[in-house]
Amino acid sequence: MTSAPSTAPQPAEPLLALEGINTFYGPVQVHFDLSLKVGRGHIVCLLGGNASGKSTTMKIILGLVKPASGSVHFAGQPITGLPTPQIVRRGVGSVPEARRLFGEMSVRENLLMGAFTRKDQRAVAQDLDRVLGLFPKLAERLTQRAGTLSGGEQQMVAMARALMGRPSMICMDEPTMGLSPLWVDRVLDLIATINREGVTVFMVEQNASLALEIAHHAYVLQTGRIVLDGPAATLRTDPRIRDAYLGGQDAG
Amino acid sequence: MSSWIDYTINGIIIGNIYALLAVGLALIFGVSRLINFAHGSVYVVGAYAGFVAVTQLGTPLPLTIVIVVAVGALLGLGIERFGLRPLQGYAHIAPLLATIGLSFVLDQLVQLTFSPDPRALPSELLERRFQVGSGTIGALDILIAAVGIGSAALLYYFLRFTRLGWAIRATAQDRDAAQQMGVDVNAVNRAVFAIASALGAVSGLLVGMYYNYIDPAMSFQATLKGVVAQVVGGVGNVPGAIAGSMLLGIVESYGIALFGTSYRNLFAFILLVLVLVLRPNGLFASRRQTPPEPMTGTFIAPSKPIQISYPVLIGIAVVMALLPLVLPNPYVLQTLTNAWLYGLLGLSLTLIAGTVGLISLGHAALLAIGGYASALLSLDLGMPVGASILLAGVIAAAIGTILVFPSFRLRGHYFSIATLAIGEIVSLVILNWESVTRGPIGVAGIPPLSIFGFELDTDRSIYWFALAVLVILAALQFRLLGSHLGRTLRAMRDDDIAARSYGIGLDRYKALAFSVGSFAAGVSGGITSHLYSYINHETFNSQLSILALTIVILGGMGNVTGAILGSVLLVGLPEVFRVAAEYRVLIYGLVLLLLVRFRPQGLLGTI
Ligand SMILES: Nc1ncnc2c1ncn2[C@@H]1O[C@H](COP(=O)(O)OP(=O)(O)O)[C@@H](O)[C@H]1O
Ligand SMILES: [Mg+2]
Repeated sequence: MTSAPSTAPQPAEPLLALEGINTFYGPVQVHFDLSLKVGRGHIVCLLGGNASGKSTTMKIILGLVKPASGSVHFAGQPITGLPTPQIVRRGVGSVPEARRLFGEMSVRENLLMGAFTRKDQRAVAQDLDRVLGLFPKLAERLTQRAGTLSGGEQQMVAMARALMGRPSMICMDEPTMGLSPLWVDRVLDLIATINREGVTVFMVEQNASLALEIAHHAYVLQTGRIVLDGPAATLRTDPRIRDAYLGGQDAG
Repeated sequence: MSSWIDYTINGIIIGNIYALLAVGLALIFGVSRLINFAHGSVYVVGAYAGFVAVTQLGTPLPLTIVIVVAVGALLGLGIERFGLRPLQGYAHIAPLLATIGLSFVLDQLVQLTFSPDPRALPSELLERRFQVGSGTIGALDILIAAVGIGSAALLYYFLRFTRLGWAIRATAQDRDAAQQMGVDVNAVNRAVFAIASALGAVSGLLVGMYYNYIDPAMSFQATLKGVVAQVVGGVGNVPGAIAGSMLLGIVESYGIALFGTSYRNLFAFILLVLVLVLRPNGLFASRRQTPPEPMTGTFIAPSKPIQISYPVLIGIAVVMALLPLVLPNPYVLQTLTNAWLYGLLGLSLTLIAGTVGLISLGHAALLAIGGYASALLSLDLGMPVGASILLAGVIAAAIGTILVFPSFRLRGHYFSIATLAIGEIVSLVILNWESVTRGPIGVAGIPPLSIFGFELDTDRSIYWFALAVLVILAALQFRLLGSHLGRTLRAMRDDDIAARSYGIGLDRYKALAFSVGSFAAGVSGGITSHLYSYINHETFNSQLSILALTIVILGGMGNVTGAILGSVLLVGLPEVFRVAAEYRVLIYGLVLLLLVRFRPQGLLGTI
């Protein structure tokens, strides 16, 4: 298992900042004045039980859902209300919930779709080699239809696909969901590796204890409100983490 | 007698033409989950653009094709701009209705420009034929096959090896994920509409050359054929659309060989309904394939309906009943009588499409069943006219419900398409079942309206009769909406998953509501047949189905008063202002388009 990041960079300037976000699905409010920051170079987790609004947070960042009020800043620029493709072009990569691969396309095509916004074909080809170095398993699967891979392999493709866009930050929605324990470890290792190569990671997770092993900082979301946040090292031993979860589940 | 080879070649050629349509529909469905009902209009515009180019400008064939492609692509961009883009985030059925409105507008504009009369689209290739075994093949056959195969090859290359092609495939598979890769899905939509419409327009040109015949009415049939081919091949599946088109072309060609031309469409629509009900993913879908995402069909914009109290409604009814005494103008009375009869149709559809949420696109078939039933019962069996009308309502309810029953499990668009096809089947059965319906000749000499032996021979008495029937059925429908049954039906519409989990047997409730609604439509058709004294298979055509839907949306879905108001406005006003018939259809299309976009809850609000 990965050792906890001991040399966490000191409070960096935030790469991503959400301020006072309120979100609605029709009449139902999902976020209540949500604010959070993701430091450059960090792994930041958003923890929370089912239906607490985690995926919606990711959709807000990516511009797939528009907040009723509040702002999103990325790399110092406001990106609130921008269309998704433009946000992606600014360097936000994503590993969506349940992977969302293009099932009818080959693994290779999926990876190249990740580089859709890039015009530099030579560099893309180099990145493909580099990414395959990181995920050697995928090299054998390049021509296979993505929909036929196992869950763990699909997760690798989703992560590799996100890297192909050379993002400065990757948003991941429950990257360990539905994976066997062996794959969970592998995926967490890879996230730590990706991060060491300089990519900021914003990660949504239900599985707090695992996520806190690799994260620098974490927020706990309960029915749309941040109820707890702090350095991962502190939260790891914080009994309130467990309580927050139990509370959240009792309420649900 | 032509040989089987000729029929086979003909089937393949027609299949190629359908494929050009169906591939476009599949591409559009793939990226936007929309069944584009304006696709047939693109085909007609393509044919007329070719006609103008050839006859007015004398263009050679390659240039004609280029012109038609350009016109088609531009039109496609327009359809995307007005039919789809403003409706993002609306109910899934909204863009479908918008494209129906657009197709009415486009077809009518073509008709106003070029007249409804058929035109010849001459081509020097038409006469040239080559011997093949015992049959012959024409130069045009070869051209059509070449265009079909060439387009398929180009499309394959485009989708597989270009950036935009990749974006289209990715968007079709997962729109959100494609956006997260940086794909501008709006640009993809535009590209797809342009490509699909260019192919559709070329298809229209080729058909025009093949039969040396074009007319504006080709539009609706082309849409239907494209939809059939696409559904048979699997909605949104491009190779499936090609295979489905070939199958459809060959089935039709052999069907004509065995049974004659008037059966051609019957096979197509029966094939469609069978595939929809038995294999909704199409004949060629692999098992792995996930079904297209469920599309809920309800088009119930939440709204506060305008409350009109019962005393006021009764007051209005009394005023309407007294009207003939103060204003004995036959023209006004006939116009309003007509509006009352459409009001009955509106009551029927507002219950089925509004209260139950089943958007029927074939409602005119119920009028036809009622009209023929009452006409034949009184004419052939000597039944008194009042009784025949009542029985016609029952027959329409029974036949309509039985025909639609297997489709109740379909959702959203699929139910609408099934009803459209069932509507066409009813009209084709009427056309072909000569021993009972007298086929294309129609039924003449239908006895005039009478009740309990008293002949209703004045405008006034007919007016009162229609108004009385409308008021009675409307009152019953108010009762129904306020009852436990009415609440159950609305609960099903708003959340059929929840309703199912409460153990409501959905199909039985739907059948009950459908038969109650069909009764009103059947009665309306019955009365109409006696007023007209002559009906044929085109009296109650598919345009009426769309008019009915427009009436219902205008009034507010599910709203009884709204259905009657909608009918007075849409049927009565054009009459009062003496709008010429061809402009009326244009107005209906525009009204539908604008309603869907700007006032989906209608004038009086949905219930
Ligand atoms: N598209 C949607 N429309 C309506 N409600 C939604 C939609 N997506 C999510 N929700 C609701 O919003 C709440 C938060 O959802 P989500 O952000 O997916 O939670 P999580 O990812 O934490 O499980 C849930 O109650 C969910 O049912
Ligand atoms: Mg989630």
